[in-house]
Amino acid sequence: MRERILIIDDDEHLMKAYKDYLSRRGYQVDCAQELEEAQTLLDHFPYAVVITDLRLSKLGFGGLDVVKHIRELPLQTRIIVLTGYGWPELEAEALAHRVDAFIRKPARLTDLAETVGLLTGAEA
Amino acid sequence: MRKSLLETVLDPERLSVRFQPIFHIHGAVTQIHSLEALIRGPRGTNFERADILFDYVRRKKAETAVDRSCFTAICGAAAHLPARFRINVNVHAATLGQTPGFVDFFRNQAEKHSLALDRFTVEIVEHAPTCNILGLIHSITGLRDSGVRIALDDVGLGQSNYRMMLDCHPEYFKLDAYFVQGLNADSNRRAVVESLLTLAEAMESSVVAEGVESKEDVSRLARMGVEFVQANILCAAMPLEDLRATGLLGGDTAASASVTGIAGPQNVEGFERDRQKLLVSAAKQLSH
Repeated sequence: MRERILIIDDDEHLMKAYKDYLSRRGYQVDCAQELEEAQTLLDHFPYAVVITDLRLSKLGFGGLDVVKHIRELPLQTRIIVLTGYGWPELEAEALAHRVDAFIRKPARLTDLAETVGLLTGAEA
Repeated sequence: MRKSLLETVLDPERLSVRFQPIFHIHGAVTQIHSLEALIRGPRGTNFERADILFDYVRRKKAETAVDRSCFTAICGAAAHLPARFRINVNVHAATLGQTPGFVDFFRNQAEKHSLALDRFTVEIVEHAPTCNILGLIHSITGLRDSGVRIALDDVGLGQSNYRMMLDCHPEYFKLDAYFVQGLNADSNRRAVVESLLTLAEAMESSVVAEGVESKEDVSRLARMGVEFVQANILCAAMPLEDLRATGLLGGDTAASASVTGIAGPQNVEGFERDRQKLLVSAAKQLSH
């Protein structure tokens, strides 16, 4: 089994598409749609990569909350943030919390897999 | 839209119940004292594991709602147990302290499943640093008035401290596995357990050692005077049908589910048997 990945997104269909695509490439993929669910999973499993949308308006929290939680953990988890256009302040704050990569939405599955592969040192 | 995780957990049908025997080891005869009902989360998810499930529940501050869901699931499963077995259930102190209606809910659920209240022991689990002590005491009194016994879980760790002992005055102190594992070879751990035994005796309470992992530790605990042990090496938590298959529960008659020659302080060599032999032995005892 390759590395474990956590995806957080408020678009259920998109999240499922990411999960299916990355699972087919051998990653063990979990999904979360609540901050507490994500935090609990992060505290119990050593995720190699977390993919989170920055704006999770339907879920009542933001991707930055997840990013901050990850950076409080003694883990080398890599973070990919999905962003839209016109969010420079959010992106700057995310960068300050050592986000590893930004991908513009809508993210192409191949781009996502390639970025995950680069961050984990594996081929996409 | 899929159900949220919390909505899923609040459905008792999505929870599963396992039972783990608590053995009485004081004296020459070892027998099942009670069965602790343990909850597992939605099957096939990361939250099937109890530690992860309840970590999430506490983050959501949903202890009360989930405790209700868990107790409903437990009553459903416990209704199929032979009536001679006591049942231990875990309830958060926050639920007892902040929810005056919980005791009535507890009574109603038990009654609905024809479970006598005096078969229950409520194990108080405390993870939050603050709790409504007056509400907690009121709920404990209500439970006791119905015949329910009280245990303080995870004694020695976190919030299960001296104040909780005084406020709850539990019939049982459940020693956390941290103090028990490796105790045979660790005089410091033995000193802690000795002190808790003295305290329990002074408070007319009994001590249950949880998470015992070796026969040497079980034997040492028995010699120290610990009356009850809960140990995977004796019997792991398992679904009721699997527990029945071990033979440890015996039939549905009033016969005692006792196992002689296992762990008494004068008969510690009984633990040289491996677990399978133990279970076979128990089944034979019960079949006669």
